[in-house]
Amino acid sequence: MSTIASGLLLIGLFLYVFWPDPNAEAQRNKTRLEYLRERRDNLYDNLRDLNFEYRAGKYPEEDYAAQRAALENEAAETVAEIDLLETQTLAAPLSAAHHSTL
Amino acid sequence: MPAFGSFSLLVALVLSAYSLLAGAVALRMLATGNRVAVSPERLAETARRAGIGSFVAATCAAFALVWAAFTNDFSVAYIAEHSNRALDIKYKFAALWSGQEGSLLLWAWLLTAYGFVLRVRHKVDVTLTAYASTILAGIQVFFFLLINFPATPFSLVQGPVPPDGNGLNPLLQYAEMVIHPPMLYLGYVGFSVPFAFALGALMMRYPGEKWIHITRRWTMVTWLFLTVGIFLGMHWAYNVLGWGGYWGWDPVENASLMPWLTGTAFLHSVMMQEKRGMMKSWNVWLIFSTFLLAILGTLLTRSGLVSSVHAFAQSPIGTWFWVFFVIVLAICIFTYILNRDHLKSEHHLESLVSRESSFLFNNLVLLVACLTILWGTFYPVLSEFFQGQKATLVGAYYNVIAVPIGVFLLFLTGIGPLLAWRSTSMRSIRKNFVTPSIAALVVAIGVIPFGVHPWTIVTAGEQGSFYAWITFTLAAFVVTAIFAEFFRGARVIQGHTGRSLLGSVVQLTRRNTRRYGGYLVHFGVVLIFIGISGQAFNQSKEMTMSFRQSMTIGPYRIQCMDFSQDSNANYDTEFALLDVYRNGHKVTRLAPELRLYAASQQPLTVVANHSTPAWDLYVIYAGKDAATGQPVIKAFLNPLVMWIWIGVLITILGTGIALIPNLSAALAAQRSRVTAAIPEEVVTAGKAGD
Amino acid sequence: MNRVTRFAVLPLLVVLAAFTLGSADTSARFDRLGHKLMCACGCNQELLACDHVGCPNLAQETAELTAAVARGDSDTAILEAFQAEYGPTVLAAPWLTKFNILAWVVPPALLLLGLGGTILLVRKWRLRTVPMPAIAQDTHSKEIRERIRRETEL
Repeated sequence: MSTIASGLLLIGLFLYVFWPDPNAEAQRNKTRLEYLRERRDNLYDNLRDLNFEYRAGKYPEEDYAAQRAALENEAAETVAEIDLLETQTLAAPLSAAHHSTL
Repeated sequence: MPAFGSFSLLVALVLSAYSLLAGAVALRMLATGNRVAVSPERLAETARRAGIGSFVAATCAAFALVWAAFTNDFSVAYIAEHSNRALDIKYKFAALWSGQEGSLLLWAWLLTAYGFVLRVRHKVDVTLTAYASTILAGIQVFFFLLINFPATPFSLVQGPVPPDGNGLNPLLQYAEMVIHPPMLYLGYVGFSVPFAFALGALMMRYPGEKWIHITRRWTMVTWLFLTVGIFLGMHWAYNVLGWGGYWGWDPVENASLMPWLTGTAFLHSVMMQEKRGMMKSWNVWLIFSTFLLAILGTLLTRSGLVSSVHAFAQSPIGTWFWVFFVIVLAICIFTYILNRDHLKSEHHLESLVSRESSFLFNNLVLLVACLTILWGTFYPVLSEFFQGQKATLVGAYYNVIAVPIGVFLLFLTGIGPLLAWRSTSMRSIRKNFVTPSIAALVVAIGVIPFGVHPWTIVTAGEQGSFYAWITFTLAAFVVTAIFAEFFRGARVIQGHTGRSLLGSVVQLTRRNTRRYGGYLVHFGVVLIFIGISGQAFNQSKEMTMSFRQSMTIGPYRIQCMDFSQDSNANYDTEFALLDVYRNGHKVTRLAPELRLYAASQQPLTVVANHSTPAWDLYVIYAGKDAATGQPVIKAFLNPLVMWIWIGVLITILGTGIALIPNLSAALAAQRSRVTAAIPEEVVTAGKAGD
Repeated sequence: MNRVTRFAVLPLLVVLAAFTLGSADTSARFDRLGHKLMCACGCNQELLACDHVGCPNLAQETAELTAAVARGDSDTAILEAFQAEYGPTVLAAPWLTKFNILAWVVPPALLLLGLGGTILLVRKWRLRTVPMPAIAQDTHSKEIRERIRRETEL
C-alpha cells in the first residue's frame, strides 16, 4: 500500500515538473514606462489623499497649497516623461512592424 | 503509512533542492544573458513547478502523520509519545504540532503552502516571483533537511509496539490550544514571504516600489495570524494555567512578541516607502530582522538555550538553527552591501513635525521595545557567561522597563494620524489637537474618583496606578482622534453624495480600506491597552472553605455550596460548587476544578471565570487542605480584562477591512484602461497622416 | 525618566495630597514581595504565580515569606535572606550590582540613543533638502497640470 502510494506520488510529481510546457511565462524586466506609470499612480493617490484631507479640514490653506504644488510638480515631470516615451514606443511599430510585441 | 510519510518527506526535500538550484541557475542566466542548451524560461518554469510539487509531497507527509495519529499507529515513536487511544478526535489533529518533530513538519508544510500560493499567482510579476520562489525554496531545503535527518517524525519505536501511547499533555487539551500553535506558526512562517520578496527585489534591483504593493497583503495576513496566535496563547494561559494572569514574559512568549514588534514597525514604515520613496534600506532591514527573529524565536524554543515552560526537550537541532541563522544573516548582509546603492531615498524628511517623523519615532520605539525584550531574554545567558551565575529577569523587570515604552507607543498612536505628510504647521496642530486634548483632560480628571490615583507613585511607590492613569488619559486622546478622523472624512463624503452619516462612514472606509481599517486596528489596540492597565488594580484572596462558608472579594460574596471528587477513564477530578452573590442577589454559580490526568499523571486546573465588562471574577481550586479535606479556593478580581479580548476582535476586524481592495483603486484601474485605450487613436491618426 | 514623571505629578499632588491613602498593609506587602521572588522549583514563574500542584518549593517559600512579613523584616532583609538560601535566581529581578546594573541601564540607554539619533538624522536631512525648482510655465506643462488636477479630483 505504502509502496504503491509512494510510487504514484513520485511518478505524478516527476511528470508534473518536467512535462514540457510550450508557453512558459516570458521572463522580462520592467520597462521604464511601466515604472513611470506605477509612479504616476502613486503620486495621483497622494494628491487625491491630500485633496481629501484638505476638504476634511485637516490642513490650513497655505499648507495645502504648498504641498499640492510640490506633488503636482513631481507628477507633471513623470507625466511628461510618460507622454514622451509613449509617443516614442508608438512611433517604433510604424518603422518595424513586428517589434511592438516585445 | 510511516514509510509513505518518510518517502514523501524525501521527495519534498529533493523537489525543494531542485527548485532552489534550477531557479538560481535560470535567474543567473537571465541576469547575465549567458544561455546554454536549455532556455532559462523553461528551466525557471520547472523550478516553479518543483516548488508546487514540494507542497504536494509535504501535504502527503502531514497526512501520513495525522493518519498515524487517527489509526493509533503506535509503531511510530512520535505518535506513541504524543497521543493515546482515549484522546478526543479533535486533539488527535493537535498531535501534529504537540511535539518537536511534528511541529517542524507543520512548519515546513505551512512554508510550502505559502510557497504554493505564491507560485500559483506568479503572473503578478513573473521575474520577481521567480526570485522570491527560489529564496523560499532555499528556506524549504533547510526545514526538509531537519525533518528528514535529525528530527524525523516518522522514526519507528525500538522493540515491541506499545499497546497505548503516552497521551497529549493535558494542558494542551483545550480547544484554543488546537488553533494557537498553527496560528503562531502561520505568523512566523508567513514572514518568510515578504522576506523572500524583499531579498529578491534587492537582488534583482527591482525598480520602483511595486514589490511592496505585492507583499502588502501577505504581510498583513501574516501579521494578523501572529497577532491572533499571540492572543490565543494569552487567552489560553489565562483560562488554563490558572495563575490569574495572561502574560508572564516567558522567553517563548517573548520570542513570539519580538517578530510581532518588528513586523508592526515594518507595516508602518513601508507606507513611507510606498508613498514617498523613503526609508528603503530601513525597511529592507526591518523585514530581514523580522524573519531572523522568527528563526531566533524557534531556536530559543528548540535548543534549550533559555529555560521556559514552553521549551521542547533539549536537542541537537539547536545547532542546525544556529547554522541556518548565520547563513541567512550572511546572505542578507552580502546582498545589502552589493546592492545598497539601489536603495537611495527619493525624498528626505522635511520636518520633525510630520507624519513621516511620527512613523520614524514609532519605528524607533517598536524597535527599542524589541531590543529590550531581546536583551531581557538573553540576559540570563549573558549573566552566566560573564559573572558565572544565572540571574533571571521576569515580570517586575519588564514592568519597569517595558511599560513606559508601551505608554510612549500609545502616545504616538494618537498623534501620528493627526500630523500631515511632509510637514505640519503650528496652525494645523492647533486645529487638530484641540478636541482630543479636551477629551484627554476630561478623562484624566474623571477617572480619579474611580480609584485611579496617579499620585501613589510618589506617596506609596506604586507605579501601576500612575501608568493606568496615563493610559486612560492617552486612550481618550487616541480614541477621540480616531473618531474625529472618521467623522471629518464622512462629512466630506456626505457633502458630495448626500448619503447618511453612517453610509458615508462606510463609503469612506471603502475608499481607503487600509487607512480606515488601520484606524480600527488602532482602536482595538487602545482597548487592549486599557484592558492591560486594569492589572494595576487586581485583587486576590485565598481561603480554605468549609460547607456554606463565605468569602468576600470586591463587591462579590462567594459561598461554598458543595465540594466533591469524581473520576473517568481520562482523569480524576476534584471540584467545588460556589454560589456568587452581589448586593444580596445570586449572580452565578462557579465550579472550579482540579484534574489529574491518568496517562501523563499531570494535573490541570479548570478555571471558573465570571467575566463582565468591569472585571473578571476568576476562581481556581487550588487544592485540598491536608488536615480537613476542605477545598482551598483562590479568587481573583481582575478589572477590565474583557476589553483585551474585545480589542483583539476589533483588531482582527480592522485588519480584515484593510485587506479589502480600495474602491478608488478600482476606479483608478478603470481610468488607466481608458488612458491606455487612447494611443490606438493616435496610431490610426498617425497612419492616416502617413 | 522616573524623575521627569515625578515632576509632572507634583502639582497634582499639592492639590490632592489630602486624599492620599495610607501605606500598604501586611497582605499587600506579602503580595508585592511575592511577585519579586521566583518559585525555586525551576518552573521560571514568580512565586505567587506558580501554579504547580504539589510544587516542591511553593509551600516552603510562601511560609517563609509570610513569617518574615509578620516579623516585620525590611524588604531588603527579606530579599537578601531568600537570595542566601536559594541563590540569585530566586530574585525576579537582579540586584543593582556591577554587571546587573547593565540589565537596567541598557534599554533606557537604547531609547535615548535612538531618540537622539533620530532627531539628529532628521535635522541633517532637513538641511540637505533642496527646494524643488519651479517648473517651466509653458503651455505644455500647464496642460499636463490641468490633466493632473482633473484626474485627481475627488
